[in-house]
Parts: sequence; structure tokens; C-alpha cells
Amino acid sequence: MSEVNAVEVRDLVKDFSTSFRRKPLRAVDHVSFTIAPGEVYGLIGPNGSGKSTTMKALLGLVSPTSGTCSIFGHDSSKVDSRQQVGFLPENPYFYKHLSGEETIRFYGKLCGMRGKALADRTNELLELVDLTDARHRRLGGYSKGMLQRIGLAQAIVQDPQLVILDEPTAGVDPIGSRQIRDLILALKERGITVFLCSHLLEQVQEVCDHVGIIHKGRLIKSGRLDDLISIEDQTEIVLQNADPALLEEIKQLVAKRAETTLLRTGKPRTTLEGLFLRETRHADSSRDE
Amino acid sequence: MSKPSKTALLSPARTLIIAGSTFTQLMRMKIFYFLLIFVLGALVLNFFDLPHTAGPESTGSDKLFSLKDPLVGAMHYFAIIIAVVATALVIPKDQEDRTLYTILAKPVPRLDYLLGKLLGILALILAGLLAMDLLLHLVLHNHTQELLAQRIADATKMGWPQDAIDSERADILRQGPSWALQGAILTIFLKAGIIAAAALLISTFSSSTIFTIICTTLVYFIGQFMADGRDYYEAAMQSKGGSELTSYAARLLSVIFPDFRPFEIVNAAVAGKPFPLDVLFKLLGLTSLYMGIYTVLSWFVFSDKEI
Repeated sequence: MSEVNAVEVRDLVKDFSTSFRRKPLRAVDHVSFTIAPGEVYGLIGPNGSGKSTTMKALLGLVSPTSGTCSIFGHDSSKVDSRQQVGFLPENPYFYKHLSGEETIRFYGKLCGMRGKALADRTNELLELVDLTDARHRRLGGYSKGMLQRIGLAQAIVQDPQLVILDEPTAGVDPIGSRQIRDLILALKERGITVFLCSHLLEQVQEVCDHVGIIHKGRLIKSGRLDDLISIEDQTEIVLQNADPALLEEIKQLVAKRAETTLLRTGKPRTTLEGLFLRETRHADSSRDE
Repeated sequence: MSKPSKTALLSPARTLIIAGSTFTQLMRMKIFYFLLIFVLGALVLNFFDLPHTAGPESTGSDKLFSLKDPLVGAMHYFAIIIAVVATALVIPKDQEDRTLYTILAKPVPRLDYLLGKLLGILALILAGLLAMDLLLHLVLHNHTQELLAQRIADATKMGWPQDAIDSERADILRQGPSWALQGAILTIFLKAGIIAAAALLISTFSSSTIFTIICTTLVYFIGQFMADGRDYYEAAMQSKGGSELTSYAARLLSVIFPDFRPFEIVNAAVAGKPFPLDVLFKLLGLTSLYMGIYTVLSWFVFSDKEI
């Protein structure tokens, strides 16, 4: 028997009515894609391209004008389909009057969890998102990164098989952003399907297996990330401790081949984010000593 | 992937969880504390025999009525204001904070969410009214006992006959704490419940909190004058004659908008008149009818609402 797709979006169209006598605004235009179980799929596109509307249609928060969305083979407009889904919206605030622990317990109870199972799961999640020390603090006093992490914890409280994340690192500093990315990778390792929307391309590239590019409501490209970003007619060799003589030999070897061109040599660079994380960690460890 | 279990259309447990959260959320809103402190302050002031509590012409039971009437009025406005403002705020606030997304992205039917919000607001109004009711009864009991002792002593000193003294005692006790007064406070709660349900309905399609507040306030005033308007219309139709269509339209209007005339029994109860049980049942029935209609309509609108 063939495995059911975690997400299946077929020919999705979403029009929003605008003011009187004006043409409706088409936010999503005949979008189709599938996500296999255990995959991390990133939907990327500029602001207003239809990413969030696609997500909302998948969660049953908006009704498609036409087309269908299903989660593990079940119509996503039905409440039942949400038993296996966790969702973190963009810039969530949650109830400021609740503490981190109460927030997880509230969402757990909504999923039918009770008693010791809920208490154990709450402790486990607080540890996972590194908020055990802030468990009794009200969300009103949480930083942006902490809010995103508690948001992720509530999203996975019922141990769903599909997690949908809308701009999970929006407005979060690089350290918080790294923690969220690590959490996404941890979900992937546990075989949980992740569907995330972002316009931060570098982050998508780091965690996703598959990507789709959406622009003005249309899915203009979709496929395996490695296939999409590899340049088929170029090869990269990275050497460690290579002396100038060896490099010269390689250059001469390449020059002998008429059909091959050496495009560039030089030192690979780290990213600015990588530098920032390394330096801040170094500063932290120096201070601790 | 196994087939997901069927999610019940309405789960009392889930509804109560949402109600509890709404209650806590609203408790922390400053408007609630402001109104509660204002009304409780008005109640506490009556522990003292201030000159404004009753005019010099007031004697005996009149004094107690002068004390009760504004206080019950304050409780009434507290309940109505909370019903309008709190209900108008809850759904837009959840939507603005995106909390609504995270709740509805869980296996939570929209009916559970709506009922939870409504129950949370009703619990808040009930808690406020109970606190004020308790204090009102303490104040009233205190004043009744003082007045009774003073009037009986005066009457005995002046040599009133026993039946006149008994009559005076009955008059004073009628204006003291009574089941009729409890019925009046329950009636205020029922009226606030109708208004909260109407505000909930309006907030499901309203584009802003202020629009909901204005529309619900209009519904409240229409409800206050609905019966008078209907009487006037029927009298006019009898004298001039009218079509059946307009007659049906008038009846339809009285279903859409609540008729608060039966709820005016609060005034009679505060004046010391009895509160018959059949009237209470009638009010419970009316409240259930209006709240039921408004909640079902809210559900219809909200179930298709694009969030």
C-alpha cells in the first residue's frame, strides 16, 4: 500500500473579496504540492505572496475558493484532521496573563490531555525549549525569542505528526533563531513532518529537504532543495592545508583540459551569522571562566 | 497514519477550559476592577449613615428603598457594561494576538470556542454580581436591624397599638434582604446574559470592537423600548388599519431584538413587592430563547468566518 502524503494541496485557489464593485484579490492561484511524511518542506516567497494564506487554508482557518487540502489523507477543513497538527503562527503573543507552564497546559488540555501525562509532557517540553527556569514567569515578561519557543512548545504539545510554522524566526535574534532551527532539526530527526513558511532563505536552506517558491500567489518552482540549488556543470573541491605549489599544480592540470575552466580559488568564508554566534559564545565562555 | 478519532461537535470539558481562560483574562482587565471598585465603594459608603442616603422626608421603609434603589441600579449597569464591553473585546483581541489561530489549529470546534468565551464572560458577571450581592445584603441587613430597633422603640414610646407596630415591622422587613431582591439580582444577570449573547453575535461579523459596542448598546436600548414601540404600533394599526405584512414585520422585529419589559420586575422587587416564581420561570425561558437564538446565529456566522 502506498504511503499517504502528510500534506496534499491540490489546485488551491483563494480569492478575497475587496471593496464593492472591485475585482476580488487572488491570494493563492492554483497551487499544488505534496509533502511526504518525515520531510521538512519550506515554502518561500516575498511578503504578500500567499504563503500564510496557503497555511491557513491547510489549517481550515480560511475556506478555499476552489481546490482541496488534506492532512494525512483527511480533509483539512474538518476539525478531526487537526489532531495530528501543531501550528505556530507568525509573531504569536498568546495569553499574557498565563505563565509558560500554564500556556502549555492550556493547549494540552484543549487537545484532551490531562493529569500526569500532561504534567510530564509540560516538563519535557519546557526542557526541550529551554524555558524550565522561566516556567512560572508570565508571558508578558517573555522576550521575542522566548515567545517563539513557547509557541513551538504549544504547537507540539500533543505530539503531532505534522508541525506547521509560519515565519518561526521572524524578529528573533541570531541566538534565538539558532535555537529554533535546532528544534526544527530535532523534530526532523524524530520523523515529524515540518511545513514552514519563511522569507529568510538562508534558514530555509539549512533545514529543508524540499522547497517551493511562491510568488504573487503562484507556485513557480518546487522540488528537492539539493536539486534546485546545485549548479550541474560546476564542481567544488575544498582542500585543507594546501600549499601554493599544490594549487599551482592543480591550475596547470586544469589548463591542460580545453573544455574545463577554473572559475576561482580562494578561502571559503563563514557567514556573518556564523561569526556572530562563534564570537558571542566565545565571549560567554571567557566571562564564565 | 491511523484515522483520527471523531472530534465531538461540542465538548463540555473543552468549553470549560476556554471559559476558565476567558474568565482569568477578563479578570485582569482594568475595566472590570474599575467598575467593581466603583460599585463596591458605593455599597460600602452605605454602612455609614450619610445624609445623602435618604432625604429628611424619608421615614421607616422609605429609607431602605432609597438605599437599595441606586445600589441595585449600579449593579445593573455594572453587569450590562461588562456584558457589552468584555464580549466586544474577547474575539477581536484573540484574533489580533493570533491566539485564535493557535486555539482553532488544535482540534477545537468553533462552537466550543464561542460557548467557552460566552461562559467565561457570564462567569465574570456572575462573580461580580455575587460579590456585590453579598455586600448589599450585609449593608441592608445592618440598616434594617438598626431601623427596626429605632422605629419599634419610637412607636412603643409613642404608645402605638400593637397591630400598628406589627404593620410597621412588616413594612420595614419587606424592604430588607429578601428572596424577591435575590430574584431581582438574578434577573439582572439574565438580562446581562442576553446582552452578552447579542454582543457575541455582533462581534462574529463586526470589523471592530467599537462597532460591536455601539451596535450592542443600540440593541440594549431597542430592547428597553421594544414593548412600548410595539404597543404604540399596535394602537396605531388598530385606529388606522394596517397590512398583515407590517404586522408580521413587527413580530419578527420582536424576535430579533430582545424585549426587556418583563425584566422590569426588578423595579417592583426593589420596591418590596413579591417576585412570583412563575415570573422567574418565564424570564428563564425568555433568556434561554434569546441566548439560544443569538448563540446559534453566532455559530453559523463564525463557522464560516475567515480568520
